[in-house]
Amino acid sequence: MRNALTGVERALFWTLAFAAFAAAAAGLAARAVDHATSGYERARSGYAIVRVLAPDGEAGLEAARAALQHAPHVTSAEPMTTGRAAELLAQWGGSRVSAADMPQLRLIEIDLAPSPPRTDVSGDIVAALAQGGVTAQVIEAPDQGGGGWAGRMRMMAFWGSIAFALVMAVIISLGARSLAARRRELVTVMTDLGATRGQAAGRIADEAAILGLYAGAVGGALAGLIAISLLFVATPGMNVETLRQMILPVDFAPILAAPFIAALAAGAGARAAAGYFHGQAARLG
Amino acid sequence: MARPIDPDQQLFERGVFVRLTGVDAGYGPATVLVGLDFEVRSGEVAIITGPAAAGKTTLTHLLRLALIPRAGRAVILGVDAARSRPAARARVKRRIGYVGENPVFVEHWSAFDNIAMPLKMTGMKAADYEPDVRELVDFVGLGGASDLAVEKLSGAERRRAALARALAGKPNLILADDPTAGMSPGDGRRIVRLLGEMRRVGAAVVIATQDETLADCAPMNRWRIERGRLTPVDEGAPAEAYE
Repeated sequence: MRNALTGVERALFWTLAFAAFAAAAAGLAARAVDHATSGYERARSGYAIVRVLAPDGEAGLEAARAALQHAPHVTSAEPMTTGRAAELLAQWGGSRVSAADMPQLRLIEIDLAPSPPRTDVSGDIVAALAQGGVTAQVIEAPDQGGGGWAGRMRMMAFWGSIAFALVMAVIISLGARSLAARRRELVTVMTDLGATRGQAAGRIADEAAILGLYAGAVGGALAGLIAISLLFVATPGMNVETLRQMILPVDFAPILAAPFIAALAAGAGARAAAGYFHGQAARLG
Repeated sequence: MARPIDPDQQLFERGVFVRLTGVDAGYGPATVLVGLDFEVRSGEVAIITGPAAAGKTTLTHLLRLALIPRAGRAVILGVDAARSRPAARARVKRRIGYVGENPVFVEHWSAFDNIAMPLKMTGMKAADYEPDVRELVDFVGLGGASDLAVEKLSGAERRRAALARALAGKPNLILADDPTAGMSPGDGRRIVRLLGEMRRVGAAVVIATQDETLADCAPMNRWRIERGRLTPVDEGAPAEAYE
């Protein structure tokens, strides 16, 4: 490292660090997309609307509300007011709707507890309502499995970040070839003194890998710091405790992977170039 | 089971360190060396003289296994240059000390570190090789310049450093391509005498030069190369005459 961080090598170090930063940032962005889509899906699957068919009128709504207090999966139930309905319609339709124009609704909004996959949540709630003498229909968000837009977004973000990291790894690898070019005279000397291709290329690859490791660590750490700063700036009410609850161990993967991927890519690039230089020095003509 | 006897290795064990038989060699489409027959034994010094572009440097490349013969056989330190694998050639190279026409160094390293390279490559620790390298530095007359970066050395000092590096690994075969270029006549003769001294430790020494007067510095077998053809010249004075 004594020689690796002087002159041109210093510029190379920051080039590798920037590439590692970009790769780690892409990974963190993919994790952010995963968090957002997971939150959206949780909210979506934790909500349903009960449409009371019978008994008619306010009595039906009250009976349904009472039955829902003891219904499985239901954590809260609130009849939909005309004001709330107007608000939702305005959101979906894009124009203001007057609550006074709305008819009396026989809808109850319910929040649902998480349930295991393939559970017939609607069926359980309809049965509970029937026991309370209410005929109702439960309208849940359709089950989209992994094929919904949230799932597609998540997959796109994941594979996009992988592809981006691979491009950055190629850039790191090509950058490390310049280190091998700077060490060409050492490869030539080693070759003349009887070093095999593996020994000469390995010596340069080791140096490049160490450079890549440090550059990757700096780039990854920088990406992590910026990501945390953005969270604090962009998320209202964010503090250290909420941050700790929000961050999962897997979120550290891009930061931890950056040095190792940078080291591997740099080592591989430098090894290939040094091996080529060894071949040129070892055999003339 | 007994290992099969390798005739090339036997040749080396009998003291024949270099044997070229009908060797052609060259670069790309150009053939530089034609039908070379050449032999150097342990403890012998061979001086090859000839004009510029006669093939001296190509011959040293051939002897240091950087150039593979196109025809004929080149057995260097018991290894057939054309039939051996790269790893075997690399092993033999470790036993060859080479002073090139334009020696290649790691320019930003000190001369001392460059000279120590062959020893470092064997895994020796600095404390173990430092006295040997200091002795070599004195032997070639590099003195305090050994602590300077090679890029700061003069042409003559670079050659001395190259010579010290070539000798550092205690090689069996020493190849010097125009080792006195850029030196004063006195310094040049001293360097050639130093090279000649290596015969005493059983090494074979091959010196390629344009300067025919250097053949008088030490007991040597004289060869003449012209247009890629190598011929022996009459014997020099007996070794005792130089003592």
